[in-house]
Amino acid sequence: MTLRAMLMRRLVLALPLLLGILFFTFMLVRLGGQDPVGLLAGPTATTEEIEIIRNELGLDKPLFTQFAIYIENVFQGDIGRSWISNRSVLHDILERIPITLELLLWGVAIGALIGVPIGLRAAFRHDKLFDHISRSVSLLGFSIPTYFLGLLLLFVFFFLLGWAPPGLGRISLLISPPPTITGSYLIDSLLTGNFDAAGSAFSQLVLPVISVAIISAAPIVKHTRAIALEVIGSDFVRFARASGLPTERVRRIVLKNSSTPVTTFIGTELTGLVGSVSLIEYVFAWGGVGQYGLNAIIRGDFAAVQGYVLFLALFSLLVFIIVDLLVLVLEPRAGAE
Amino acid sequence: MADLAIGSAAQNKSAIDKAWGRIVGLSKRSPTSVIGFGIILFFGFLALFAPLVMPYDPVQANPDLILQGPSAAHWFGTDGNGMDVLSRVIYGSRFAFGIAIPVVIVALALGVPIGLYAGYKGGNIDEIIMRVVDAFRVFPSIILALAVVAAAGPSLLNVVLVIGILDAPIFVRVVRAEVLALRSSNFVEAGVIVGNPTRRILFVHLLPNAISGAMAQTAVRGAWAVRISATLAFLGIGIQPPTPEWGAMIRQGAEFMVNGQWWVGIFPGVALILMVLGLNMFGDGLQDLLDPKRRSAGK
Repeated sequence: MTLRAMLMRRLVLALPLLLGILFFTFMLVRLGGQDPVGLLAGPTATTEEIEIIRNELGLDKPLFTQFAIYIENVFQGDIGRSWISNRSVLHDILERIPITLELLLWGVAIGALIGVPIGLRAAFRHDKLFDHISRSVSLLGFSIPTYFLGLLLLFVFFFLLGWAPPGLGRISLLISPPPTITGSYLIDSLLTGNFDAAGSAFSQLVLPVISVAIISAAPIVKHTRAIALEVIGSDFVRFARASGLPTERVRRIVLKNSSTPVTTFIGTELTGLVGSVSLIEYVFAWGGVGQYGLNAIIRGDFAAVQGYVLFLALFSLLVFIIVDLLVLVLEPRAGAE
Repeated sequence: MADLAIGSAAQNKSAIDKAWGRIVGLSKRSPTSVIGFGIILFFGFLALFAPLVMPYDPVQANPDLILQGPSAAHWFGTDGNGMDVLSRVIYGSRFAFGIAIPVVIVALALGVPIGLYAGYKGGNIDEIIMRVVDAFRVFPSIILALAVVAAAGPSLLNVVLVIGILDAPIFVRVVRAEVLALRSSNFVEAGVIVGNPTRRILFVHLLPNAISGAMAQTAVRGAWAVRISATLAFLGIGIQPPTPEWGAMIRQGAEFMVNGQWWVGIFPGVALILMVLGLNMFGDGLQDLLDPKRRSAGK
């Protein structure tokens, strides 16, 4: 099957899931048994605004019709209005996506660079000291609350050592941000040759990125180790060993055969990490989708909460599809089915 | 009667010996799980005997003693209201257990029957249940829990119900997988032929054989519940400071931390990490012991 056909198939398969996701976000504001209009309009809404929203949602109609109206609205790009920013939620979220991606992708990239080699080494040295230590350390990584890790890093590197700037956003307040090209301050300021801004953006990035890297590395170590152990135990590796191949060659075989499942895992891990990254954004006042969403949850801005949850689900869906395709590219056998 | 009592006492003794032997064996095979269990016991002790162990009233404000560093009188210092941080950290363990235990019970009560049913019936019902269960994976669980709790109203009951319900899919998946493997085994077929109703097959014949994988997950799910409930409190949803809950205390401490008064936030944070770590370590050992897949993979 060609890549394009495969992509089409995945997209079609994703449709019922998409419907389920929309149903869930639709039900979210109806869960508490409160008037959804009250939740969506927020405490500042006037009577007329409430009437407008009530009309738009068709709340006098049966639930099924309301759902149909909701879907229609979503496909027209109308996912409601935030009462905090008084702007379209879609606009708010789209504008913040690159900000979150910058943090997430740097963090996971570094997390993978740390996690994969440790996991592999732990598997090669199964049940030896290195294995036990890495296992304990990754358990610790699993157990640290995301936000507390951020606070701890701020305390040590900002307050005690003074190496890092305070966690107040993506660039120093004294430096004007570069013009938007990619949305990443670091890349944009490098592109425009503004090295002061680049330096500031970089120093603001360090602590949040380290937090994400630590949080993402723990599961990567665990799964890389498990995957590599399974490969090591497989018949073809045992055969390679039995044929007397040097350890280095055997390890290369293990590496090659672990690469696809490890890639898949890191991809799917992204979907869960967007959640943890939100908490890190919150601690460092990062200003991405995550902080926007958490603030919406805290202040009860439910149009924004709905949009945020929808964004997370769509992001995951997209990542799953990309990972599927990536596997096809890495391992064409999987497409034969 | 007397004979019977003596007999059972003797039996008890050998049972204790056996249990002790097992614990010793376990600690050799999986020292992490024993350490984890020790940590859980420690916090369990603090939670149970909190009134006896706490040196001060955890919510007694004291305007003369605001933000005092750790000292002999206040080992963990005092917070912004002059409350004793040590007493508050001790009291906080009650919230951890008070949320983790009911959450796991709710998740088990929901997930295990559904998993049994889906695995045993198979076919369309199974297909539909598993699609729904899988659909939950597209939402990052932590944000899903936060959003649903915020929408449903952040009472303690809602926190427990929401986290429990969101955790149920994991138990559905584990139990279903084991039932699938057992469905066509002789003892189940024999049970059906003899005329047992489905309910009896599920809960009397299949449940005891399919539950170990689910039990292995309980400690890790408990750790997750502690984390999420603390995160909610950290964000100020539901439990509010000055309630002595760890997440709420970290929230309070966060503003003092960048001014150098680290003890307000660090101590509850360390307690939270320890508790979650204990549950995770214990859970990791449990999975090695109970999960048939990992048991064979480990060897």
